[in-house]
Amino acid sequence: MQWVVATAAFFASAVEFVEAFTIVLVVGVTVNWRSALLGALAAAATLALLVATLGVAIVQWVPIDVLRLVIGVLLLLFGLKWLKNAILRYSGLKARHDEEAIYEETRAELRARGEVEASSPRFDLFGFLLSYKSVLLEGLEVAFIVITFGASAASSTVSRSSGIASASLGALLAGLLVILAGALLRVPLAKVPENTLKFVVGIMLTTFGTFWTGEGFGVDWPLSDVFLLILAAIYLCAAFLLITWLKQVKKQQQAPAIENQSAPTIEQTEEVIP
Amino acid sequence: MKVIKAIYNFIVGDMVILIGIALTVTILALINNISTLAPLKGISGPILVIGVLSSLVATLSREAFSLR
Repeated sequence: MQWVVATAAFFASAVEFVEAFTIVLVVGVTVNWRSALLGALAAAATLALLVATLGVAIVQWVPIDVLRLVIGVLLLLFGLKWLKNAILRYSGLKARHDEEAIYEETRAELRARGEVEASSPRFDLFGFLLSYKSVLLEGLEVAFIVITFGASAASSTVSRSSGIASASLGALLAGLLVILAGALLRVPLAKVPENTLKFVVGIMLTTFGTFWTGEGFGVDWPLSDVFLLILAAIYLCAAFLLITWLKQVKKQQQAPAIENQSAPTIEQTEEVIP
Repeated sequence: MKVIKAIYNFIVGDMVILIGIALTVTILALINNISTLAPLKGISGPILVIGVLSSLVATLSREAFSLR
C-alpha cells in the first residue's frame, strides 16, 4: 500500500465526487432516483474500465523513465491549473464553488424542461444521461490522477500495479464516503471545504509533477524522496505569498471604484443642503 | 479541432501555463542534449522549479490585471 498515492487520490476524488454528487442528487430529486443511480453506476463502470485498460497498458508497455517525464509534465500542467484556481478563489478574485447554487440552477433547468418531482419511477433517458455525463466528466479527472499517480509512484512493474491499486483504493474510499454522506443528508454537500481540498491537491500534483519531470531529465534531487517535502514547502510558501499579493491587488482595484461611488453622493448632499 | 480543444481544456485550459511549462521543458531538454550546455546540468532542478513558479506567477498576474 502506497499511502502518499492513496491520500492524493482520496483528496482529488473527494472534490470531484462532491461535484458529481450534486448533479446526481438533482436528477434523483427532480426526475427519479432509478435513472440517477443507473446513470451514476454506468459512469463508474466506464471509469473503472478506463483505469483498468489504460493502467495495465501503461504498466506493461511504457518504460519508467519515459513515463515519469511524460506524466511529470502532465501532472505539472494539471496541478498548476488546480493551484491557480484555488489561489484565485482564496484571494477573492474568483467566486468559490457553490454546490447549493449549482443544485438550484440545475433543478430550475430540469423544471423548465418539464420534469416533475420524482413522481414516476419509470426509467428516464434524459435523467440517466445527465447523471452519466456529470459523473463521467468529473470522474475523468479522478481516473487521470489515479492512472498517472499510481503508475509513476514506483520503479518496478509490480509496484506500479500496486501504485494504481493504492490510488484506486483512495478514490474508491472517497467515492463511498461522499455517497454515504450524501445518502444520509440528502442535500448538496456544501460544507465540504472544496477549495482547501483543491489547494492541497494542486500543491501535491505540482510537487510530484516537478519531482518526476526532474527525474525524467536525470536530476539527482538532494536527499532523494525526502526532497518532495521541501518542494511542497517551496510551493506552499509561494502560494501563500501569491494569495497575500493578489488580495492587495484586489483591494487596490476596489479602492478607486469605491471612491467613484462615494464622490457623487457627496456632491448630491452638498446640493441639497442650501 | 474540437477534440484537441477538449483535451487542452481538460489538461490545462490555460495558454500561459502551457507555454511556461513547454518553455521550461525545452530548456531542460537542450541542457540535457547539447554538450556546450552540459555544465548547466547541475542546476536543472532549480531551473525546473523556477520555471514552474514563473508560469504560476505569470498566469495569476494575467488574471489579476485583466480584471481592471
